[in-house]
Amino acid sequence: MIIKFFALIRDYTGSKEISVEGCHTLRELLNKLCSRYGKSFSEKLFAGDRLSEDIIILVNGRHIEHLKGLDTGLEENDEISIFPRIAGG
Amino acid sequence: MISPEKCIGCRTCELICSFGKYKEFNPRNAAVSVFAYDEAALAVPLMCMQCEEPSCMKVCPTFAISKSEDGSVLIDSSKCIGCKMCISACPVGNISYNTIQKEMVKCNLCEGEPKCAEFCPSGAIAYVEATATNLDKKKKMAEKFKELFGEVNE
Amino acid sequence: MMFGWTGKLLRVNLTDGTIAKEALNIEDARKYLGGRGLGTKMIMDEVDPKVDPFSPENKLIFMTGPLTGTLASSGGRYEVVSKAPLTGTIGASNSGGHFGPELKYAGYDGIIFEGESDKPVYLYINDDEVELRSAEHLWGKTVFDTTDELLKETAEDARVACIGPGGELKVLFATVMNDKNRAAGRSGLGAVMGSKKLKAVVARGTKSIKAAKPEEFLESCTDARRKLKEHPVTGTGLPTYGTEILVNILNQSGALPTRNWRDGGYFEHAEETSGEALVDKYLVKNKGCFGCNMGCGRVTRIPDGKFKGFGEGPEYEAGWSYGADCGVSDLAAICKANFICNELGIDPITMGSTIACAMELYEKGLIKREEIGGSLNFGDADAIVELTRKTGLREGFGNKLAEGSYRLAESYGHPELSMSVKKQEMPAYDGRGVQGMGLEYATSNRGGCHVRGYLTSPEILGIPAKLDPLVTEDKAGWLKTFQDLTAVVDSVGICLFTTFGIGLKEISDMLRGATGMDLSDEDVLKAGERIWNLERLFNLKAGFTKKDDTLPERLLKEPLPNGPGKGKVVELDTMLKEYYEVRGWDEAGVPTGEKKKELAL
Repeated sequence: MIIKFFALIRDYTGSKEISVEGCHTLRELLNKLCSRYGKSFSEKLFAGDRLSEDIIILVNGRHIEHLKGLDTGLEENDEISIFPRIAGG
Repeated sequence: MISPEKCIGCRTCELICSFGKYKEFNPRNAAVSVFAYDEAALAVPLMCMQCEEPSCMKVCPTFAISKSEDGSVLIDSSKCIGCKMCISACPVGNISYNTIQKEMVKCNLCEGEPKCAEFCPSGAIAYVEATATNLDKKKKMAEKFKELFGEVNE
Repeated sequence: MMFGWTGKLLRVNLTDGTIAKEALNIEDARKYLGGRGLGTKMIMDEVDPKVDPFSPENKLIFMTGPLTGTLASSGGRYEVVSKAPLTGTIGASNSGGHFGPELKYAGYDGIIFEGESDKPVYLYINDDEVELRSAEHLWGKTVFDTTDELLKETAEDARVACIGPGGELKVLFATVMNDKNRAAGRSGLGAVMGSKKLKAVVARGTKSIKAAKPEEFLESCTDARRKLKEHPVTGTGLPTYGTEILVNILNQSGALPTRNWRDGGYFEHAEETSGEALVDKYLVKNKGCFGCNMGCGRVTRIPDGKFKGFGEGPEYEAGWSYGADCGVSDLAAICKANFICNELGIDPITMGSTIACAMELYEKGLIKREEIGGSLNFGDADAIVELTRKTGLREGFGNKLAEGSYRLAESYGHPELSMSVKKQEMPAYDGRGVQGMGLEYATSNRGGCHVRGYLTSPEILGIPAKLDPLVTEDKAGWLKTFQDLTAVVDSVGICLFTTFGIGLKEISDMLRGATGMDLSDEDVLKAGERIWNLERLFNLKAGFTKKDDTLPERLLKEPLPNGPGKGKVVELDTMLKEYYEVRGWDEAGVPTGEKKKELAL
């Protein structure tokens, strides 16, 4: 699956896009990413064991709030986008 | 300390300064002014630099201007006769006259808690205790302003 | 003694050159707040809604709000109000910068321009001295040159609002520009100014604005500013990336309208035109409007190449119209086209969208190569720059584009290819993938527009709640609240972006502190609803009906071809019925007698 990072998240990952294999839920994927990018990244993503309010995660363009949150199931050809909370207009 | 590269030109400093002094909003009565240079993409907040050897203090005929222990240059309004000599003497043009309240307008560092620094959204105005290093910086900056101000007055 | 407001208005008759000073009607100010609300009230009272927007009978109002020029967070706004030439609806456009506060420091809440001058003029306001001066020497000049010259001949510390050649030539989407790069951008109010031969308004003021309860006001401003500073969006996101940051998230959500909305909501080159790319490549500096603690403005420079230039922007919607909507991936060309819009005084949202419409007409074989002297395919970076210039000057094919996409597409027999509502182009959010935005466009009182009830905020960005963009439930109720609150924001004189970080309570607190008026939070929101209904009444009197509360056929009949909303159209009928109900309007979309009574209309 493809993971895309945007805006300030790129400061933590140093890349715009990576490919990851073998994660069956979003929770698994995020844990994997946290171990790869370290403490500052996981602190940005999580507030305690809950996902931070300042993060927007889309799975195939759908906000995970409208899927199953951290329990959202993932498949190998999915695209996951991670944004900080942003706005404009 | 002033960092023009950070200034976004919003003039919040002017607003809060005039409010702090007169409880009204009027940028022209503020002791700080932001000069925006569009072509250079630069904005410079200008205010009294609290000079080490203040020329305003030297020329004041009634000795209304003094330098306090913490380094701020203050005008005692009870001694000030409004002759405006200090305006002429200030090399960086940082003293003005408020025609409504009939008094000199000069930054007094809000008695050690400058409101402009508190409200500045971008960190372009920051209040730091004077140390040898940042005094040097301040001096350099003051010289830059002197040049810039010269241009503005052309 | 007035607090918040100055209590004075200028009335300038351009036909006979008379200038009068009059008192602000304080009862109206209480009911309609200022800016957009008060401006609309005056237009409603003084202008026949059926009038030709370019006739001397139409009036043009510049109106500030009670928080303009105060310490209120981002309190530098003013509104231009008139009957709009692009749409024929009420037109109200909001702008920041420094002009609005300066007008208040000169002692005026607003200016009413009436009649029409026979020669180009500008108004110079220097505190109590107000005069009309000849602008013959400025006619034909760009916004930048006009501003520079006016500052030279009036006062260096004055502020200028003016039109460029676009407004003079009555391009239907001409802007009123102030402080060079800030625009009262939509609906063509610059063209009304041009029709009156009013080139500019210059203001210089040395007076003070007072707050009724200084300490409480200071406290509520400090509170609002702190909240904005601490909020991730207004404290970090907007200052870092500007509004163009939205490109990627709309694209990833499948709602970035691509190639005149033909190719769905996914643009394969979005990243190249994103806010991140703008910061990496061309951003020189952030710029804030008066009193703003966000500073989302972009000072940008294209250092070399054929699109070399310097200026501000683009904002998200302008970047989208020239980018995804025209299929253009060259960010330098997008910036350049946007710079030209600012110089010539035209609205980049309608401009880019109109070029996108022309591109589709060309690809369909409806616009012929011979007519335009070359090709006009999607993705043509040179074309967006060149056609923008030609349109602002009404040269060649630009003369046709200057009428906007609806009239353009109609002239080729295909009005359905114009992505507009009430003849104004919808920006940057595909309603098929963001259902609430579909309803927002259909019901906006100034035609296709995103800033009348920005449901993208809850539907995509999760502020202040996370609504599912693909469903229609509850969207009508949310939209009503957003529309009413936005009307408040545009009327009190602060920036809409503050609402990402603060809400009704904070705004009402500031309003009470500044004016001393005894208004509850509910009263304030009710004023917003009153303003919304008044605008609606204007449009109904102008001849608009329920059938105009609709969307281009493409959004209602062509399912989205890709992304999470694949297969969806905007389910407008369902939402619109519910919307009329929550508005207290009858089935024809007319405010009921009961509603009008409730709002004291």
